[in-house]
Amino acid sequence: MRRRQLTALVRKDLRLELRTRETIVAMVLFAIVMLAILQFGFGTRDDDLTRFTGGLMWVTLAFTAVLGVGRSYVAEREQRVLDGLLVSPVPRVVLLGAKAIAIFLYMTAVEIIVIPLVGIFFVKGPYWDSIGWIAIAALLANLCIALSGTLFSGLALFTRARDLILPVLFLPALVPVVIAGAGATHAVVGGAHDMSEWRGYCLFLAAYAILFALVSIATYDAVFDD
Amino acid sequence: MTDSPARIPGERAAMIWGVLATILVVAATIGVFLVAPEDADQGVIQRIFYFHVAIAITSLVAFAVSCVAGILYLRTRNDRWDDVGEASIRIGLLMSVLVVITGSIWAKASWGTWWVWSDPRLVTYLIVVLIYAAYFVLRSSAEDDRKMRYSAIYAIAGFASVPLSFYSVRVAESFVHPVVFTGSGANMPDSMLIWFVVSQAAMLALFIALLELDLVGRRSERALRRLALRLENA
Amino acid sequence: MSGGAQYVVAAYAVIWFLLLAYVVVLGARSARVGRQVEAISRMLDRREQKDAEPDPAEDRT
Repeated sequence: MRRRQLTALVRKDLRLELRTRETIVAMVLFAIVMLAILQFGFGTRDDDLTRFTGGLMWVTLAFTAVLGVGRSYVAEREQRVLDGLLVSPVPRVVLLGAKAIAIFLYMTAVEIIVIPLVGIFFVKGPYWDSIGWIAIAALLANLCIALSGTLFSGLALFTRARDLILPVLFLPALVPVVIAGAGATHAVVGGAHDMSEWRGYCLFLAAYAILFALVSIATYDAVFDD
Repeated sequence: MTDSPARIPGERAAMIWGVLATILVVAATIGVFLVAPEDADQGVIQRIFYFHVAIAITSLVAFAVSCVAGILYLRTRNDRWDDVGEASIRIGLLMSVLVVITGSIWAKASWGTWWVWSDPRLVTYLIVVLIYAAYFVLRSSAEDDRKMRYSAIYAIAGFASVPLSFYSVRVAESFVHPVVFTGSGANMPDSMLIWFVVSQAAMLALFIALLELDLVGRRSERALRRLALRLENA
Repeated sequence: MSGGAQYVVAAYAVIWFLLLAYVVVLGARSARVGRQVEAISRMLDRREQKDAEPDPAEDRT
């Protein structure tokens, strides 16, 4: 029963997205612009930024995540779908779960473009042979982003100045994800192959995801309590 | 209405803790500056340590209190827990700002620069300040019930982020740099440890006193507002 | 003063200053409450006087 509700909600989000394509296209464009801005912001026309790969990638992904998470309830709010969903017998945890899955999928879609692009743009050393390790870390980080992002966007949803509140709430909580994501990337890029370091960061990301899953489960009822 | 108003609950506690905090803070200050021996290694700079670390630990206690208050608010929906949560986050935030400032001064004194990204304590507290400063942004943009509910949820989520920030910074440190100073309290002679314990007690007492004082103030403000409302309607 | 004493003084000065500032903020709030209580009690006094000797010409402010 719950699973059917969950798949129905996720499918609704994805179908809406596939029809309008407004969120993912905007996220990808934003990420590419971010990468270019970061490069120009360094003030050098240096071709090899291997040393900063992790930072470039995860700063971009963090800001893109804020953008995507901020959009995640917009359709519901604008078309008053949320009111209907909240009075329907769908449990709140299913609602949050569906949103988390949607955010996870959006972030994965963005990363499919951004992670290779970072390699093309900035890395002159070895990159492609370790892209699998980066992808695993990225999937774990997506889990973190999806879980904490759903919680914080739920909080920001009904506040005044919603678009301003979300980054202020969400970015400090994302700092650990950026640290771990950048660290894991740094550990395997440019000839480095420090698997114990990579493993440490991935374990940390898993712990983050578990902790935020627990917090979300404990508080989801109170988020939409009106 | 009686002529002698009933004591606001908590008033006596605020008094007792206030007196206790004052005594302990004075004792700790005297001890730190006049009694505790000079550190052989760091010299006079080490005297920052006593209050710096005591305040750091107390701010974490304050955030823990706010997390518990958040849970209790969501359970009971009693405004009182919202008061406790906000008051203790305000004190905790003040204390974390103090940790960052004194830590920065310490960095300047011992390494010659105001900011050291490789010092996990400094970096962690910067993140903690950002997390809890956002709490007040959130509060200021919602009303009444929703404000209290969101604040409670954020206090819980924020407190979950605190250990994550701690570990994320330290995971990075353990690979990139040797940790510059950690738990310098662990290997301290007793003549120093005693003054650290006194400082810690002083800061905890100060936290409780400020919290009680804040709560008493809130309660009297609320009572006043009720009174004004009744007079207007009368 | 041995090396770095000025930093220790600065650190403790900041601590004392911010903690005192916080206490002052709390004090200012209780002062405001006191002022409002005073205003209310004055208002009540005036109202009682008015009840004793009603004066329709006086407007209620």
